[in-house]
Amino acid sequence: MRVTEETEAAKPSRGFWSDAWQRYRRRPIGMLALCFVLFLTSVALFAPAIAGTKPVVCSYKGNLYFPCLGYFNRSWESPIFTKDKFRGTYPENLKQKDPESWAIWPLVFQDPYRRVRENEWPGRRENPSRDEGHPTRLNLFGTDQYGVDIFAKMVHGTTIALLVGFVSMGLAGSIGVLVGALGGYFGGWVDMITSRLTEIVMCIPTLVLILALIAVVEKPTIWKTMAIIGATGWTGIARLTRAEFLRLRQTEFVMAARATGAGSLRIMFRHILPNALAPVLVPITFGIASAILVEGSLSFLGFGPPPPTASWGSVLNSARSNLQLWWLVVFPGAGIFLTVLAYNLVGEGLQEATDPRLREAKK
Amino acid sequence: MITYLLRRILLGLVTLVVITLMVYGLARSMPGNPLTVQLGESDPSRKLNPEDQQRMLEIYGLDKPWPVGYVQWISKVIRGDLGRSITRKQPVTQLIGERIGPTVLISGTALFLTWFLAIPLGLYASARGGQIDERFTGLVLYALYSFPTFVAALFLQIIFAVWLRDTRWELPLFGMSDLSTDAPFFARCIDVAWHAILPITCQTYVVLAYNSRFIKANLEEVVRQDFIRTARAKGAGPWRVLVHHAFRNTLIPLVTLLGLSLPALVGGSVIIEQIFTWPGMGRLFFESIRERDYPTIMGLTLMFSVLTLAGQLLADLLYSIVDPRVNVD
Repeated sequence: MRVTEETEAAKPSRGFWSDAWQRYRRRPIGMLALCFVLFLTSVALFAPAIAGTKPVVCSYKGNLYFPCLGYFNRSWESPIFTKDKFRGTYPENLKQKDPESWAIWPLVFQDPYRRVRENEWPGRRENPSRDEGHPTRLNLFGTDQYGVDIFAKMVHGTTIALLVGFVSMGLAGSIGVLVGALGGYFGGWVDMITSRLTEIVMCIPTLVLILALIAVVEKPTIWKTMAIIGATGWTGIARLTRAEFLRLRQTEFVMAARATGAGSLRIMFRHILPNALAPVLVPITFGIASAILVEGSLSFLGFGPPPPTASWGSVLNSARSNLQLWWLVVFPGAGIFLTVLAYNLVGEGLQEATDPRLREAKK
Repeated sequence: MITYLLRRILLGLVTLVVITLMVYGLARSMPGNPLTVQLGESDPSRKLNPEDQQRMLEIYGLDKPWPVGYVQWISKVIRGDLGRSITRKQPVTQLIGERIGPTVLISGTALFLTWFLAIPLGLYASARGGQIDERFTGLVLYALYSFPTFVAALFLQIIFAVWLRDTRWELPLFGMSDLSTDAPFFARCIDVAWHAILPITCQTYVVLAYNSRFIKANLEEVVRQDFIRTARAKGAGPWRVLVHHAFRNTLIPLVTLLGLSLPALVGGSVIIEQIFTWPGMGRLFFESIRERDYPTIMGLTLMFSVLTLAGQLLADLLYSIVDPRVNVD
């Protein structure tokens, strides 16, 4: 009897986050959305192995190479293939230059950046172009007017869509939390300045600000676009963080921390921030959804990263002048829609799982 | 009350100065200038020679560093002059006056439709909360909320302008009117309305989905409170409780939302106007950035920020009307 009592007492009570996770798990739609996000992440990570024209692994002249990594970064593709004049077409060259070679190919032999030519894969016809690129067995999602496979573009675009969400919201979250924390914690004139700053950025229409910034940086790359989206999207997070800090700085545990001699920075980021994180995390999740939307609309307007980058929005942009090619709209449109929906649902689930007011209501 | 208003207006003026200063600096740091961008794009042979260009820049006051240009601009604004568009050779106020009508036609109709539909939808959703039909509409609205406008616009264009071509349901792809200006007035109205259907649909659905969910969330919060239980206990019917007791107490957040949608009413949507080539304010903004037309960019920025600040102030003032307990002082 005594033993069980002791083990009962020794067992730590569930923490806030594991409690939130228990609540989150009970929502089937939220879990479905989370699974979809994880699915997208794995598509993004394994994009070159799903669709590409470079072998995942190949043995060439006695060595093992991973040419598919070239899709992530040019320099990760072994220079030996440039030296041996492969010119990006592997199947034929591998056989010709080293009959002993073998290779494991991506699931779908299509390239996101160029048209696949006739007999590039032995016995395979050329990709159709212009208005003949209906979805077929070879081109699952059809081809665009230049004969580039849409499925490959979509698969490789997943990387961009997810990166845009994470990088830009990572930046926006950092700026927002910092600005909000400074204003909320110190109050007074610091708060005055940070609040005005937030208000000013809120007053300029976001898309206009982004377009102007993109014009200023001249040669936009996908990283610059992400940075700009992040640098303009932090206002909501800053306001929420400020409100949380205003509330929490009055609490006993902050006073206790101050009594033990903790400095301002330590109190802000070690004591207050972990307690303010849940309500701040919710707008960040919604922010990921809206960052993906913004990138999509920028590419759609033709202000996205330059052509070789395969983003979903740029496929939609090419559909604008070719409305008969419905597959150029349906597949990337569905991609953006489902991703945004999934992130919104995850955010909603997170909100319900962590907001004490909503929790009370469900009891 | 008066002191509150004065303080808010003064603060607003300071904010305005900082915003316009920032945007002016940003606009002037964009590569190129109105002369090179405009002429160089249309025809390379018509590019100005350096001397002419310098002379033109002097005429427009663009040869000086941008802080000087900003001071010139703002001193003109204080005298009530927004300047002349460089690329369109027209006063900016006149340009805005031309574009504001089409934008309000779209966004005003959309705003009206949104609230007209969102309030009943929100009431319905919280009345039938948890039932199977409510869950279904909730899911549809949620999906609509996540549906990107530009994708929706392309879908609508494909359906109504390509697939339904030459049927009774065909809708025009873009533009505002196909008829010439000497066509009869009534026919022109019909034509414009016909062109406006798709843009209005696009602008309505996202906001509708958001607002009805917002109303529902607020209602659910109010319904939990004690005075609702009292109302039920004294025998008020479910609809009376919902509309008379609960809904009236959700007005504050709604009023905020309405105040915040004021700039969008006049500002329009860059994306929708760009897709449907609708000659409105959003498109003007987009074009003026592309053309580096500084006076137009600045005029539009000023208008947007004034409206945003006014919307916030209006929302705060409406608070005290909707809820007498709130005292703005």
